[in-house]
Amino acid sequence: MGDSQYSFSLTTFSPSGKLVQIEHALTAVGSGQTSLGIKAANGVVIATEKKLPSILVDETSVQKIQALTPNIGVVYSGMGPDFRVLVRKSRKQAQQYYRLYKETIPVTQLVRETAAVMQEFTQSGGVRPFGVSLLIAGYDDNGPQLYQVDPSGSYFSWKASAMGKNVSNAKTFLEKRYTEDMELDDAIHTAILTLKEGYEGQISSNNIEIGIIRSDREFKVLSPAEIKDFLEEVE
Amino acid sequence: MQTPQSSGGSGGRRRGRDTAVPYDRRVTIFASNGRLYQVDYALNAVNLPGLTSVGVRGADSVCVVGQRKTKDKLMDPASGSSLFPITERLGLLTTGNEGDGMTLAHQARNQAAEFCFKWGYEMPPDVLAQWIADGAQICTQHVSKRPSGVVAIVLGIDEEKETPQLFTSDPAGYFLGHKAASAGFKDREAINFLEKKMKNNPSLSFDETIQMAIAALQYALKVDLKAKEIEVGVIRKDDPVFRMLTASEIDEHLKAIKQHKQS
Repeated sequence: MGDSQYSFSLTTFSPSGKLVQIEHALTAVGSGQTSLGIKAANGVVIATEKKLPSILVDETSVQKIQALTPNIGVVYSGMGPDFRVLVRKSRKQAQQYYRLYKETIPVTQLVRETAAVMQEFTQSGGVRPFGVSLLIAGYDDNGPQLYQVDPSGSYFSWKASAMGKNVSNAKTFLEKRYTEDMELDDAIHTAILTLKEGYEGQISSNNIEIGIIRSDREFKVLSPAEIKDFLEEVE
Repeated sequence: MQTPQSSGGSGGRRRGRDTAVPYDRRVTIFASNGRLYQVDYALNAVNLPGLTSVGVRGADSVCVVGQRKTKDKLMDPASGSSLFPITERLGLLTTGNEGDGMTLAHQARNQAAEFCFKWGYEMPPDVLAQWIADGAQICTQHVSKRPSGVVAIVLGIDEEKETPQLFTSDPAGYFLGHKAASAGFKDREAINFLEKKMKNNPSLSFDETIQMAIAALQYALKVDLKAKEIEVGVIRKDDPVFRMLTASEIDEHLKAIKQHKQS
């Protein structure tokens, strides 16, 4: 980042030792649309609300859940434009790994590199932290995995997690419903029910997005028709 | 080299008269409520000139309408336009800060030409809109450049999908595809009109698309517009060249709208 006039960090310590810019970034995440992820025994599901500002918006032009590699997907809560930057950087990192090792990047490595980028922006000159938290879902030789990365650049592996506006209710709901031996289809139902809990208005196949990955290691975003089937099963 | 004493809030670099404005409002860093005030202010800058733009996507065409306010009778009416052909097949309407709009159009022209040279096919409208949005996002994260002061409306025909496309990109770096859109001072009013008229997803013909856009603008501004007060850009599937309507063509549409109203 060549902001030479700003060769000092904007994220600096407050007297109590806090990095307030990161806290404010987390506030921005907390006012974003709710998203969540659940790791099942045989796969991972991630999902998010997809509320658009007007019925005039073409909902097919927006895809909040993105694939980083064929076997790793990501969803966010917070600022969409910042998310696009991270998706682009992560995809490039995954490709660079492949070019070097001729193997697809393990999930943990991609998570670590993405988190490192986010951390850089909390310490470099002339930039602000990213206003997003990410849920990264993948399936590799270590099985199904779900990681959450925060604006500070810290990351943890989760059995199930939620982010955004409805985070506390969603997490309580997930804690009650989660079981270690859950199958992916159960997890998808639970994900839908969790989104439904905090959803203002009527949930439908056009205002939520769901991404899944099974043992076939192919991350895919469900089409509205597929979401509709799951919604009907949940009713 | 001066360093800020705390990150944001009422501390930070102190420079003469600017001390009254907290640092987190002068530059794109987070405020305590998670907002980026400079981005919010940039969105206000879009409305500052007091002009409004509308775009409508029809079944096989797309149309944008911008206001033209000639500031001076001595000014050449042909200049001072906010409607820019980017390539033969892509149009751009900017709303907000004129300087930012013109610069964006020049950069977009370079970008579209490079794209075609590099990849061997015309830059699709959504790719241009995303490029504009990504550029806008950088200004919201790097403090060295202020955010852009325009909303960009991009129109074109997607060659692969063979559909007309209408995209907007705002100073926050947010970009979306639309069936209809509006930007500027009276954008809310125009969108209310368009939501009502288009909620059942009508299939609009070329003429209907143009008239829907002009009618929305008239509704928002609460005036009957004259041809030289607006500029209209169109592109249609069976003739995918971006062009601007002549004054007499605009007059025809204005008359048609008036007749519809009376009938």
